[in-house]
Amino acid sequence: MRYIKKNMAVLVVMATMFVSCQKDEYTLPEAVKELTNDCIKRTIGPNIVSLPIEFAYAMAIPKSKGKLVSAQVEASIAGATGTYLEHRSFYTNTGGVDVPVTVGTPSSNDGKSTKVAFTVDTTAATLRYYYVIPEEARGQSVTFTFSATSSNGQTVSYKMGPYTIAKMGIKKNIAVSNGNLAYISIENMTAYTAAEAAANAGKVDLVYLYRATPASFTHALVSPGADASLLPGVTLPSGVNRSTKLRKVFNLQDRNLANLQFGIYVDDKDLQEVDLTDAPNYALGLRAEAGTWVETADKKYKAYIFVNAVNANGSAVISMLRYAL
Amino acid sequence: MIKYIKTILTLSMVTAVIISCQKDNVVDEDGLLITFRKECFVSNFELLGSDFITVRAIPPVIDTTAQTIDVTVLFGTDLKNVYPQFTLATDCKLDPKITGRTDLSDLANPKKYTVVSGDRKVRKEYTLKIKFQ
Repeated sequence: MRYIKKNMAVLVVMATMFVSCQKDEYTLPEAVKELTNDCIKRTIGPNIVSLPIEFAYAMAIPKSKGKLVSAQVEASIAGATGTYLEHRSFYTNTGGVDVPVTVGTPSSNDGKSTKVAFTVDTTAATLRYYYVIPEEARGQSVTFTFSATSSNGQTVSYKMGPYTIAKMGIKKNIAVSNGNLAYISIENMTAYTAAEAAANAGKVDLVYLYRATPASFTHALVSPGADASLLPGVTLPSGVNRSTKLRKVFNLQDRNLANLQFGIYVDDKDLQEVDLTDAPNYALGLRAEAGTWVETADKKYKAYIFVNAVNANGSAVISMLRYAL
Repeated sequence: MIKYIKTILTLSMVTAVIISCQKDNVVDEDGLLITFRKECFVSNFELLGSDFITVRAIPPVIDTTAQTIDVTVLFGTDLKNVYPQFTLATDCKLDPKITGRTDLSDLANPKKYTVVSGDRKVRKEYTLKIKFQ
């Protein structure tokens, strides 16, 4: 009896091992039988007011069941002007180029909804959705409900989000020039001439200037309140006297500021956390792709200014991200 | 008498074994290897700005006899936020350590850094003198 028990135990263990080592049989995935959908968010990085968030919404139905009738997106906060759902479906050709195929009428916005009605007999499509972030969404969360309907009356939907919209604002490609558009306001995210600066004296935070000598000066952003030796030959408009803090950085080419080059993003958190307590009130020797953190004298704003391009004739193109404290 | 001699011999052997088994103190308080090197000098010096780009106008002048480093920095350099970088002789270390952004703006009282040799027995204090271009 003992002998049988002992052998039984061994047999059970061996049987378990064999079973556990058996390969699972491959089964063919079942074809989709109903209307289905899927969605991905294509943009990465912070969601900034005035910039688009891009999605790709895919929907399909078996041919035997019917065809696609319409696609719709509903955002929790209505998109700004420029929000649209593509009425063309894209495929990638052998050259890697996305080729559009028109499948419906151009989308129409109705409040929070954006809709496309299909005009061709199709059972599958992927439509891009561009949501231009409105001012009302600043610092809020936004969600999206994508839905599609088919000719057999079926409806499917797909929820995306919530996505937090950054508090910071963006202004790209601000032209500045020595002695002309030289007075920069962080609050208004613009550059003024001397006459305009006098009219907005309380809002001028920086002076752009270019000096060929000394060699380390070149393109500079200097606070109106900085030492006179750092503002050679500059006569400040009356009332322009703020002392703004700056810290130079290099190799921080924000993708949004650098016109979609590079893969770095400056986010709200960076602007919240950068400590400029002991920073100087000037930044000399700026060059293309350099940048500088900024904090206004009244501590109302922090900003990141990126230098897009410089010109030896004494001009530059800058872009900025500005965060209200 | 023989018994005493035996005891003394045994004790001596045990002591010898214990001493020979003791570990040499091979690392210092920073966990760095203490070597036999006595060289103790600064071989190069670099000064970077907050953007990690050099703020030196010309190469530094390092006087290993007078134990001074003379650095001329670019016009407008923010000396409150710079990163000094010392290149030292093999196995040396620096005291005080440089842990990040450093304030070198007090030109009237130049900062002093001590180089400690690989065997940690030689210490040489260097004075870092900075002037603007």
